[in-house]
Amino acid sequence: MDHGQSTKAMLKNYIKIAWKVLLRRKFFTFISLFGISFTLMILMVTTAMLDHATGSHPPETRLDRTIFIYFNKMTGVKKGSLMNSTPSYYYLHRYVMPLKTPEKIAISSNFKGVNSYVNNKRLSLDLKYTDTNFWEILEFNFLEGKPFNQQDIKNANKVAVISRHTRDQYFGSGVPAVGKTIIADGVSYRVNGVVEDVPISRLNSYAQVWVPVSTANINKADTGLFGEYMAIILAKSPADIPKIQAEYQHVVKQIKVPDPENFDTFRSYAEGILEGMFVRQLFGDRYGDNSGMAKFIAVVTLIVLLFMLMPTINLVNINVSRILERSSEIGVRKAFGASSRTLIGQFLVENIFLTLIGGLLGLLLSALVLQLISNSGIIPYAQLTLNWRVFGIGLGLSLLFGLLSGVIPAYKMSKLQAVEALKGGQL
Amino acid sequence: MIRHLFTLIWNRKKSNFLMMTEIFFSFIVLFGVLSMAFYYINNYQKPLGYQYDKVWVMNLRWNQEKPQEVKDIQRRLQQQLKSNAEVEGVTLTSTNVPFTMQQMSGGFFYNNRMTQSDFFQVDKDFASVMQLKITEGRWFNDQEQNSPYNNVVITKALRDALFKDEPVIGKIVAGNSGDNKNPKTRIIGVIEAYKQKGEYAENKPGFLEYRYLENIADSMNVPFNTLLIRVKPGVTSGFEEKLMQQASRIAQGWTLEIKTMPEMRTSYNKVALMPLIIFSIVCGFLILNVALGLFGVLWYNINRRISEIGLRRAIGAASGQVYNQFVGEVLVLATFSILLGILVAGQFPLLQVLGVQTSVYLAAMGISVGIIYLLAIGCAAYPSRQAAKIQPATALHEE
Repeated sequence: MDHGQSTKAMLKNYIKIAWKVLLRRKFFTFISLFGISFTLMILMVTTAMLDHATGSHPPETRLDRTIFIYFNKMTGVKKGSLMNSTPSYYYLHRYVMPLKTPEKIAISSNFKGVNSYVNNKRLSLDLKYTDTNFWEILEFNFLEGKPFNQQDIKNANKVAVISRHTRDQYFGSGVPAVGKTIIADGVSYRVNGVVEDVPISRLNSYAQVWVPVSTANINKADTGLFGEYMAIILAKSPADIPKIQAEYQHVVKQIKVPDPENFDTFRSYAEGILEGMFVRQLFGDRYGDNSGMAKFIAVVTLIVLLFMLMPTINLVNINVSRILERSSEIGVRKAFGASSRTLIGQFLVENIFLTLIGGLLGLLLSALVLQLISNSGIIPYAQLTLNWRVFGIGLGLSLLFGLLSGVIPAYKMSKLQAVEALKGGQL
Repeated sequence: MIRHLFTLIWNRKKSNFLMMTEIFFSFIVLFGVLSMAFYYINNYQKPLGYQYDKVWVMNLRWNQEKPQEVKDIQRRLQQQLKSNAEVEGVTLTSTNVPFTMQQMSGGFFYNNRMTQSDFFQVDKDFASVMQLKITEGRWFNDQEQNSPYNNVVITKALRDALFKDEPVIGKIVAGNSGDNKNPKTRIIGVIEAYKQKGEYAENKPGFLEYRYLENIADSMNVPFNTLLIRVKPGVTSGFEEKLMQQASRIAQGWTLEIKTMPEMRTSYNKVALMPLIIFSIVCGFLILNVALGLFGVLWYNINRRISEIGLRRAIGAASGQVYNQFVGEVLVLATFSILLGILVAGQFPLLQVLGVQTSVYLAAMGISVGIIYLLAIGCAAYPSRQAAKIQPATALHEE
């Protein structure tokens, strides 16, 4: 009890000293804080962007058990031929819908730009054809009305779900729209529901007008594998995903290549957003199954390390200078009988204190910048959020380097004879 | 003097090593960002090759009509839209119009030479709608319909890449078929440029292929997916809806989308410039960080050497000499780091890693060297002046 009391008092004392030291050398303090907080801020903003594009956000809320089929690919090694494009409705209906392991499968089209006119002014809208499962797998936030149902799909009813932005532009801000008619692409649709806006970076769900897939002009006789559609697959549980992928690969392997003269292999994968939409397209094998995820992680790690390297060297440089500058103080304390352990403890507390202040500033800066980006409309309707795990890692790294660069010289210094330290001794 | 500086630096190699690493990385980062900036500037200075400001773009997406029916509707669309008083000209073209992500490219062959080239399928009204500048030969006219060749107009960039100073007008080459034994492509003109990807894109080789709807030999194919409409000056966006109504009456059931080229350009360039803006911000932050760090460390180092300064002053060094010594030390450090940096950065033009012009790299390298020296002098000047001001008596007294 007594011991705890004294430790507490000592800690309080150290923090007091740290505060005084930070104030005394305002310039050094400023440089350290600037480095830590800005590095953290850039790290946070970058990850917020990545998370915004690939993390779980409404309406794509169950990404831990959702996978997607974005691309079909045909290759021919002999002629070096390659065809990589989105699947056709026929393909998804014939080969993907019958899969047994998933809980639900939705088919939707890529969005397409259409024109609509309000008072002689053009309103450019993005329109997507969907089935009913689309509304069950994705959790849209309905402001009014509801999604279209199986009956609408069956009868090819001209009904639509529109976004808040579309409603505000077409019918007036906040005016109820359900039951009214909207003309898009020269077709009159009856509004069935209004949903919260979806940012364009969420390509799986994004559109401004969603209409039944049966109203699209799909050529029933066309049995091509490539087209303008995609599938969203919901698994019963995250553990089921490998089973679904295995079943899908089994189906894919049996599909005959339609043009054997130019192509020898047909491939298609059901996978997550990052892997399927970005990584495989940029880093994937041309003729193999490898998605290039390992390569992608290596490249990203390298870039992050390079980016972190400069602020780190700077931090180390500043810290070493700070400690050296205080050699005479260390000398005095040693002369009055302070042990190496006490000295190191003091510098440890000082460093942690400084890094935490830097972290706090970094957090405030990140929140500010994310708010600015969200409000600027660079990414329409995006709300960027802080990622606490990345913040933790960033803060941990700056603590680690701060400690290494602050405590090692302090340790060496504390080992010196008091006399040498007093003279500003060489390390 | 220089040798003396080297000795001084060598004596303090440990703390100097950290500073050198920092300067080295700053140089590399600066070089990267400036290369990118100069690449954009270099591209921007080359002519665009067309006028976009009064052009509207209408995308056509049809359903299950046969090619012949599609072409028939396209012809009626073109005639109908052209009949408006507000319209100056209408042309049909392939989807890869300016300021879109769409791209068509392939090899263009001439004897044993080949260059990767963009290509565009256009009709005879394209040059007047886009206001292309013809520098040699002529533009397509109806004569071409009887020609057994695939008639093309090439850009000056393609001409320079493949033909150098040879005359090209009327020349029959293998073109994109690559079949040198049976060349089928006839060059009838050269245009100044056609930078489909906008001002900031490279002036790449390209060629325009003549197509026409009445071509019977091409009955299974629809070469055009887009209508370009040049409106007269003073026509406002209110005319758009009228155009759309006319168009959808003719092309029933098609998906038609209209956009103006200036608005397509704005959003396209925003995306094109985004990487440069982001990298510049990150680079600016890193350099500022390093500058502050250098300043702090130099200040501290000079303060530690007060006794040394005092001694030098006492034995007769002028304050200017002290100043020069400290700034000189930093400059030598910066020079070492820059030499190391040039060794690394020099690999880019030497190995032609990204296919960017050497002049871009050289300019970036030159400016980076300048900025790093300025930065080093800037960081060293203030602490050095403080050091030079020290009176020998005060300095020696401290000890």
